[in-house]
Order: sequence, then C-alpha cells, then structure tokens
Amino acid sequence: MRVVEIVLSPLLALVVGVFFLGLARKIMARIHWRYGPPLIQPVIDMIRLFYQKSVSHGRMFDLGIIISLTGSIVVILFLPFGSICPLSNSGGLLVILYIMLIAPLGIALSGGQGANPNISIAISRKFILSLGYEVPFLLVLLAVMTHYKTISIIDVVSAQQSAHWSLLSLALFLSGLSYFLVLPAMLGIRPFDMASAPQEISSGPMVEYGGKYLALAMIEHAFVLFINIALFVNLFLGGASNPVTFFVKMLVVFVLGLFVHAAFPRFRVEQAVKYLWKWPTLLAFVGLIIAVVARS
Amino acid sequence: MDRNQIRKWFKEPAKMANKYSLHAIYFCTGCGIIEVPPVITSRWDAERFGVIPVATPRQANLFLITGYVSVKTLKAIIRTYEQMYEPKFTVGFGSCPVNGGMYWDSYNTIKHLDKYIPIDGWIAGCMPRPEAIFVAVTHLWTLIDKEMANGYVRYRENYNLYRRNQEMALGKLEWPPLYSPDGNREEDTRE
Repeated sequence: MRVVEIVLSPLLALVVGVFFLGLARKIMARIHWRYGPPLIQPVIDMIRLFYQKSVSHGRMFDLGIIISLTGSIVVILFLPFGSICPLSNSGGLLVILYIMLIAPLGIALSGGQGANPNISIAISRKFILSLGYEVPFLLVLLAVMTHYKTISIIDVVSAQQSAHWSLLSLALFLSGLSYFLVLPAMLGIRPFDMASAPQEISSGPMVEYGGKYLALAMIEHAFVLFINIALFVNLFLGGASNPVTFFVKMLVVFVLGLFVHAAFPRFRVEQAVKYLWKWPTLLAFVGLIIAVVARS
Repeated sequence: MDRNQIRKWFKEPAKMANKYSLHAIYFCTGCGIIEVPPVITSRWDAERFGVIPVATPRQANLFLITGYVSVKTLKAIIRTYEQMYEPKFTVGFGSCPVNGGMYWDSYNTIKHLDKYIPIDGWIAGCMPRPEAIFVAVTHLWTLIDKEMANGYVRYRENYNLYRRNQEMALGKLEWPPLYSPDGNREEDTRE
C-alpha cells in the first residue's frame, strides 16, 4: 500500500501543479478581460518542448535540473495530501526544511553551467530573496512547532482536526498571516518575480533552457507551487481527511495568491528584502512570542 | 479544441503541439513591432491561439521579422535564428522584408530577407493590421499540417548558399558555421 502511495503522490502533485499553471494563465487572462488559452495549454507546451531538439551545455546543466526535480519529489513524499501520506510518519517539518533547499540549488548549479550573465544575476537575486523569506518562514515554523509541541506534520494536522484550524486559533493567527504574506515570495510570483523577470533578465535561470530542459523546468515550477501551498494548507488550514477537500483548500489559497500576482507590479530586490524583513518578520516574531507565552 | 481533433493528437502529437504552442520571441527588428503589443494584450489576445511572447530564442519557435531589416539588424536576426531550436518557423511581417518596401533603394537595408534566412510565410502591407497576424498564424497551422512550413529543413540543406549570401551582405562573419558540411549541428559544442 505504501509503495502505491509513493508512486501515486508525485504523480498527483504533477497533475495538480500543472492544472494550477493552466488555471493561472486562464484566470490572469480573465482579469485582463481576455478570453485566454485553454486550460490544458501548459500540457500542449510541454508536449511541444519534449519533441523539440535541444542542446546541452555540459554535464552539470543536465544534472542540475534532475537534482532539483529529485529534491522536489522527495519533499512531496514527506507532505500529507489529504489522507495520502507515504513518508509523513518519519521525518517531519525539519526534514522538509532541509530538503526544500535542494530544488533552487539544483537550478542554480544547472544555470551556472549555462554561462549566461542573466543567469548569474537571476541566481543572486533568487538567493537574496530566499534570505529575505527564510527568516519569517523559520519563525513561523518555530511557532507552529512550539504550539503543538511536535515536529511531525501528521500530528499537527490531526491536532487541528480534533480542535480547529490553527489559522483561526488565537495563538497562531499572526504566524499564519505572516506565512500568507511570504507565500508569493516563496512561489516566485509577482510582486516577487524578480528572479525570473522576462523583461529585465530574459526569464532568469530559464535563459538557456529550451526543448526538454524547459519542459522539466516547467514541471519543477509546478512542483514548487504544489509544495508551498500544500505546506500552508497542512500547517494552517487544518489539512484534510480526504484529497478532494485538500485540493479545494489549495485551490482557494492559490487563487488568492493569483489576485496578488495580477494586481501588483514587480519589486526591486532590495525593496523585496526590506518588505520581507519588516512586516512578515515582525508578525512572525510577535506570533512566536504569543505562541511561547500561550504555551507556558 | 474540436472533438474530432483528438484522433489527430494521438496520431501526430508533435505536429499538433507545434501548431498550438507557438512561442514568439520578443525581438523588435523594425517599426512593425508597434502592432504586436495590441496583439498580445487585451485588445486582440493572441494567447487564445497559443501564441505568447517569450524572452529568449532558446524557448521560442516562432520568429516574427517585423518591418525593415537594416544590415546591422540582419546580423542579430541571423544569430537569433540560429540559436532557436528546431522545429522553428519564421514569418516576415510588412512589406519591407518581402522586397525592401519603401526602403528598396536604401544603402543601409537589405531587400529580400529570404536570401539570408528561410521564411515560412509573409504578411504583406505597410503596416498590416493586427488581425493579419492571426491570419498568418492560422495559415501557418495549415502549412504545418501539410508539412510545408519546413524553413529549418531548407536552412540545413542549403546552408552553404545561405551562408554565402550572409557573407556577401555582412562581410566576414565572426561566428563559425552552424552546420558542418555533413549536416550535423556544430553550434554549442564549443564552450
């Protein structure tokens, strides 16, 4: 049974992530008062890219993208998706924190071999940005772990299902708000898309990707969308007992994020760090103090 | 998407995906680019057709040559075209790439673009309306269906001819040939 779940959960994550990519383009089009592409447009693009010829820029160029995909898939195995949770009993939040770093690192290694100046700029922007959002993110996770006195996601979810969502609890409300504020930065959507800005640095780390490399990068992007939103739903919206409810909760969070994406222009990287280290960090810090005081 | 297309999708996925996922590269070669922003934004929404602009030639498979081509731009056009991955399609937009247009006796522009890179279709007019781009896209679909949009194959087969024409216009080219005489791709193996 566990083997089936291990095979099934990355596939499910792929389907959900690619659906989100298509939905993002459709909803953005409707917000612009356009008709928009069909929902399966990302799938069409991927089929085209897999059939297209492509040229490798070196061994690390091939390996980096695979490392990053592997990192994402391993994180997905540790995340509960409704009742499907292949490896969630072992590990927990700390393991997820460690493995989440592999995905951007793989892209950076792969881009480094591409030897394009735009890639170097994009990678430096991405790491400065992650320096910005890791601080509030770690504080939020600390508050959650302090409040529930556990590092296991399964325990956090079951504790919420027996009581109420932690976003609605007094002790963790500020932490949840802070996580929601850094979510666009973690997903790399506007106003925090300076690492993949098409107009400034020719879509950043993707500059040298074409053909199947770009298709794999799209899949990786779908996985990143899935991981960050699923983590938010698990920690603050109470998870779910079945995959359908979980998917609906993810959809609501994603569409809210899309509205932010549609409405805001892009930050410069120092403005982003200034914002991230001011409001979300402040909220997360106060939230941590409240969680500690409420616990003792 | 029509329901009767599903059989075609299973039979020839590569061809169908090429048709419905044309990624055009942003490269403002001339005055015709002024017609492209309305095409890709709210007024004429090219994304319905699967046409979106992308930032780099590596990701693109549609190259719109919009307007006159000066000798300096020709160099950039050739380099951009050679960096795109196959299969790739080019469309000349406006009168100037067709036969020189109003710049036909200019000292600084080239007249017939298809002497230098292969072109799969033309949009005539000065300027063509934005709707003409959609006519061109649907026409390109027909050409892809009939396997007549084969500019990249012609480029590979007649590379020596194209290279000679390029050298006549630009003088000595500072980049090595894209294809070796036996037809293999040489570019990008160098670091």
